[in-house]
Amino acid sequence: MKRAYLIELAIFRDYGTQLLGLGLLVAVLISVGMQTALAAPAVLSCMFFMMGAMGAAAYDEQSGWGLFRLTMPLSRRDVVLGRYGAIVTLGLGGMAAGVAVALVLGAAASAGLLPGGLSETFRLDADLMRVMALVTAFCLLIGATVASVVTPVYFRLGQTKATQLLPTVIVMLFVLPVVFLGNSGLLDGGLPGLELVSRLLDLLGTAQGTALGCAAMVALSAALLCVSAALSLRLYETREL
Amino acid sequence: MTTSSAGVLIEARGLTKHYDGFSLEGVDLAVGEGEVVGLVGQNGAGKSTTIKALLGLIGVDGGEGFVLGTPSEDLARPAGAATKERVGVVFDTVSLPGHLRVSDVGRIYSCAYASWDAGGFSRLTRELGLAAEKAVKDLSRGMGMKLSLACALSHGPQVLILDEATAGLDPMARDEALERLRDFVAEPGHAILMSSHITSDLERIADRIVCMDAGRIVFDLPREAITDEAGIARCRAADLERVAASGIVPELRYLRNDYGVDVLVPDRFAFAESFPDIPCDRMTIDDYMALTLKGGVRQ
Repeated sequence: MKRAYLIELAIFRDYGTQLLGLGLLVAVLISVGMQTALAAPAVLSCMFFMMGAMGAAAYDEQSGWGLFRLTMPLSRRDVVLGRYGAIVTLGLGGMAAGVAVALVLGAAASAGLLPGGLSETFRLDADLMRVMALVTAFCLLIGATVASVVTPVYFRLGQTKATQLLPTVIVMLFVLPVVFLGNSGLLDGGLPGLELVSRLLDLLGTAQGTALGCAAMVALSAALLCVSAALSLRLYETREL
Repeated sequence: MTTSSAGVLIEARGLTKHYDGFSLEGVDLAVGEGEVVGLVGQNGAGKSTTIKALLGLIGVDGGEGFVLGTPSEDLARPAGAATKERVGVVFDTVSLPGHLRVSDVGRIYSCAYASWDAGGFSRLTRELGLAAEKAVKDLSRGMGMKLSLACALSHGPQVLILDEATAGLDPMARDEALERLRDFVAEPGHAILMSSHITSDLERIADRIVCMDAGRIVFDLPREAITDEAGIARCRAADLERVAASGIVPELRYLRNDYGVDVLVPDRFAFAESFPDIPCDRMTIDDYMALTLKGGVRQ
């Protein structure tokens, strides 16, 4: 698995560098646009997870690489696990880049180095850091969920067919439920368990709750990726390349 | 589970694979130590499918394959990794993402193969005129094939499995590539299975020629039996009857053309003694294939 992982990273290197540059630009623009650096790590985590999953699959169909790779001392299992390792690495790399942007902006703000009153808006305190952690963990969960859904489809169908199918899958899984819930009126107070959700949100406002919430979302992300990897393994083992 | 035959490094026994519109039908093939076996046939004959089945890249519906004693089906599993360390593979295109530079390709192979010889790869790419900073997508077909060969030779393989590896190379580069392949197979314990449409390459390097057509093996002969012993008799229509009546050619394969009839003669020296008035040329692999695949047969 380690070999496959290192090969993925070697192939990803140029793409990852471009993505990092793009991500940093996006992080700065979002921070300036929203007048807070809170969202930078969250947006980058989500973006890197999704783009990692989709970008990696694109290389498999270039020049028959997906097939040729299996003539190397790699099994299909190695390939799948290496791919998930690379996606997680890229996602966490995005998060680290976002955190770095937020911290640099926060530090510059604290030192009063930013122009036009930005020092006041970008200053980070303990409460803001807690919110940033929660939002980042939530976006990490979204990114991991999308990666968990699309990666098995890529492994089963290949990039070309999967790209034709995935918009439908995404709409079915992520858009339709929201539309149905909205139309049913359940979101206007009729949804069972809303009180529990409200209590959970209150809990997340505390320091302990934040830590617990972040840990739960990270654990859920990891669990989703594990289930997705197990599914990808089954699908890729039987795929005729 | 059965095992491969002694001294045989690559083996197919009754390999069968069905697709819509095409089937590989019971392919038997063996490549022994020190041998270069050339796999020939028309497009779509099943050469690449046979190679993929041997490498465990596709599942088969029947039969079995072995590479270095490891069943082909195991090559796709973690258990096959150690064997794949010793197998160099080249497909008919550079099978690497186009954005990679030649130096990146070396890095990827060094991740994949424990036995990767980074110094040897650098030397080989330099000798072949491959600039380290050149991207794969910017290489010509011939340069790409040189890169693929350099990769296959730089991780200390014991066998090479080449699918149209010399396609796209200019004559001088082909000479160089064949020279390297000859050096490779001269090492103890080495062997090569190579499919090619450039049969002149196989005439220079192969020990045995295996021809496939419509998913089946049509002939499997020592190369000398074709290029040294066999001949192509340039007959007129009347000569054909005379040759058939003589019984010197038990199964008479012939191909009519504008000037007469070409006849496949297994022993051109014996034929020349019996029919000194009929010109008999040396046989090429192309001629042998054409007579076998397209020619008529008279018992």
